[in-house]
Parts: sequence; C-alpha cells; structure tokens
Amino acid sequence: MKKILWLILIAIVPVATNAQDANQTISELINKMHGVKDYSVDALITSDIPMVKILPSKATIYFKQKDKFKIDSKGIAILPKQGFTDISKMLSQRDAYTAIFMGNEAIAGTNAEVISVFPVSDTSDLILAKLWIDASNDIVLKSQITTRSSGTVGIVYTYAAQKKWGLPDQLIFTVDVKKFKIPKGVATDINRTGTTDSTKPAAKTGEIKIDLTNYKVNLGIKDEVFTK
Amino acid sequence: MLIKSTLNEFIKIAAKPRSYLGLAAITVLVGVILFALKADGMSFISFVTASFEQTLTFEGNILNGNLVAFIVLQMLVIHIPLLVALVTGDLVSGEAAMGTIRMLATKPISRTKLLMSKFVAGGVYTLLIVIWLGIMAVFVGKVIFGSGDLMVLNSDGLVILQEADIGWRYIGGFAVAFLALLTVSSLSICLSCFSDNSIGPIVTTMAIIILFTIIGTLDVRVFDNVRPLLFTTHMASWRSFFEDPLPVAQIKESIVILVIHNIVLILISIFKFNRKDITS
Repeated sequence: MKKILWLILIAIVPVATNAQDANQTISELINKMHGVKDYSVDALITSDIPMVKILPSKATIYFKQKDKFKIDSKGIAILPKQGFTDISKMLSQRDAYTAIFMGNEAIAGTNAEVISVFPVSDTSDLILAKLWIDASNDIVLKSQITTRSSGTVGIVYTYAAQKKWGLPDQLIFTVDVKKFKIPKGVATDINRTGTTDSTKPAAKTGEIKIDLTNYKVNLGIKDEVFTK
Repeated sequence: MLIKSTLNEFIKIAAKPRSYLGLAAITVLVGVILFALKADGMSFISFVTASFEQTLTFEGNILNGNLVAFIVLQMLVIHIPLLVALVTGDLVSGEAAMGTIRMLATKPISRTKLLMSKFVAGGVYTLLIVIWLGIMAVFVGKVIFGSGDLMVLNSDGLVILQEADIGWRYIGGFAVAFLALLTVSSLSICLSCFSDNSIGPIVTTMAIIILFTIIGTLDVRVFDNVRPLLFTTHMASWRSFFEDPLPVAQIKESIVILVIHNIVLILISIFKFNRKDITS
C-alpha cells in the first residue's frame, strides 16, 4: 500500500510543479508586459502572401494599456488579423485559460519553455495557444495561436534594443491562406483565359514580416490618437 | 475645308439636345455611385475582401478616390457605348432623315472628306465623354474620398498599387477606353451610312455590342477563335493597366485590333457613302 502511495506521489508531484512553473512563467511575462504603459513605433511591413501583390508599406503603431491599439498607415498595409495584442490580452485574463508546461525547446539558440494555453470555456474563439517563452528574460520567442475564426497564426519574435521592455524589433507572422477565393465578377482581367497555372500547387501559408524601429516607450500617448 | 467641315459637324452635334444627354447621364450615374459608396462603401469593399479578412486585416484608407474611380469606370464603361452611339449613330442617317444631306452633298467638299469630318467630330464628342467621365470619376472621387493606394482584384489575386504608381495607369486606361469607344463611334457612323432613319443605326450598334458581348462571355469552345477578334472583347482592356506586372503584349494586341476595327469601319463607310444614292 505504501509503495502504491509513493508511486502516485512521484507521478503527481512533477505535474503539479510544472503547472506551477507555467503559471509563474506567465505571471512574470505579464508583469513585464504591464511594465510598458504605452509605446509608439515605426513599422515596415513586408508581405509575402499567395494571391496578394503588395510592395512594402510603412506605418506607425500606437499602443496604450490596457488594450488601446492603432496602426496609422498612409497607404494600404496588410496585417494578420490577430497577433499584435492578442497574447497580452489573452494572458491578462487569468481565469479564462489553463496553462500547461510542455517542456523545453531551443529557439534560435535560446532555451525556451514551451507552454500551452487552453481556454476554460468551450465557446471561446481560442482553441489553443502555444508559447515559447525565454523565462530568463520574460519574453515570448515564438507563438502559435489557433482560433476558430482565423485558423492558425504563427509568430516568431526577434529582440534587440527593446528587449528590456519585452518589445520585439522584428515579427514574422505565418498565416493560413488556404481559404482565399477571388470573386470572379470583380476580377479586373475577367476576359483573360489560360494565364493561371492550375496544375501548380497553391501555397497554403503566407508570411508577413514587420520590422519595428524608433520605439518611444512610456512617453505618454494621448487617448485622442486612438480615436482619430 | 476638312477642318471647317469638322467644325460645322461639331456645331451640329452641339446644337442637338441629345448630345448633352450623355454628359448629363454620366453626371447623374457617377453622382449616384459616389453617393452610394459614401453612404455604404465599406460593405461593398467587404464583399471583395471577405475571403481575405478571415485571416488578414487591411489598414489604411482603402475606400479612397482611386478605388472609387476604378469602381465607377468598371461599372460605367460598359454603358457608355449607348451614350456615344446615341449621338454618332445619327450623324449621317439623321441628315438623310431630315433631308439636309442632299444640300450638304452640294458643298464644295468631297464625300470622303465630308464623311471624315463626321468621323472626326464623332471622335471629338467621344473624347469629351471620356474626359468628362474621367473628371467625374477620378477628380470628384478624390475630392470626396481622398487619395490613397489602389486595391484591385484580378484572377490571380489581389494587387495593391501604390498611390504614386496610379496616375499613368489611369491615363493609359482612359486612352484605351477612348479607343474602344471610338470603335463604337466608328461602327455607329458606318451603320448610319446604310440607313435613312436616326434610330436604326443606334439600335443596331447596341444590338451588335450585346451580341458580341454574349459571344465573348459564353465559355464555349466553338467561339474560341472568334472571341479575340471581337472589339467588345478588347473594350475592357483599359483594366489591364491596373495589373502588375503590366500585360504589355495583351494591351498592344487590344490596341491593334481596335485600330484595325476603326480603319475597316471607316473604309466601309467611305465606300458606301461615296456610292450612296442620295434621294432624300
């Protein structure tokens, strides 16, 4: 009987410890995220999405706690529907998810804790979020968010000068594009035939690279900026 | 003499109330489209971008003057031939119906030059229609909606053209649209040479455009060899200027076919008009 109890204890203790680790890592990550009250940054958006032709475009991104976010672009810029503030917004709602430590993995030479986040509610848009977190610096190195509405969006974060704030200098989004369909009636080359190679397999993912420069952190941003 | 005769022909066009119908129709139609887009343009845009917006968001002023002008042109260029034919289809047969063609033929100018002056006057009227359409679509559109990058769809996907790269495309597009409408003008004047009443050439021109458009739209193999030769197939070539990369060969082919149509129609008209027995 004692042996059985010991076996159960040995099996339970690491899981409990891991669960605690995951929550602790996320708590520290949230604390670091909350250290940034506001920021503005210049962005160069480069899109490589199947069926979309667009030159790199410039924009200015504004963020203010808790969830004020705005992208100011002179021209047209294409961005992923989710990914910018979704992680901080999602992680801030502590009662809405369960975080589970999945192990360690090296991301670009850095040891990262892999944490899976599951929503508590069955009806939540979020299905699963997987985060690769550098626990020593409290920064997200990579994320993969799967939602009912937008499919799976993968993000790779690169940090440089703003690492202390947990703000990346480059984001690379990988988005699901298999659902894209062009309505025939609105196509410009409606009369053209035989130019599209139907035998060529269509790419299923697109990539959006955002280079972020000229961060202005915690300098104060007026609320009117977000309502313009 | 040709210039004087052309001026005379243009004065006659200007004196007819129906000549202003085209300009008025463009003004009203573009006005209605601009109002509709101002009131509920984003839902129209959402229809186009719906499949992208499941994953992506479009930042910036999408519903701008450049896109509005593109939508206006896409909607109206198909209907403008009627407005052109309404005036140019009447240039010869209208005179026959009124009985003034006999007097006109007694003037010290050859029938060929007389007919050419009608073609030139018809061409100038067509140009005015295209310019007015351009002013209403591009300039008024930009005044109301502002400027910005242009988002267009083709069968390969979505193309976003930067604002600085759009102006020359509109000039090229309008030039090809003018050439296409000039073909309609030439066709209606040519048909006008065969008729002695005003309404016949106008209706016949529209019937031919409808017939050719149906043949062009029908995805049936039997028409595969005919389709590229129809002028209606190339009437939408102005839109090629908004593709990236620019389909230069396709645009050149369209221009050549439209120019050939114009030359052939003018030659047929000259042949017929010179042999026309003017009895009215």
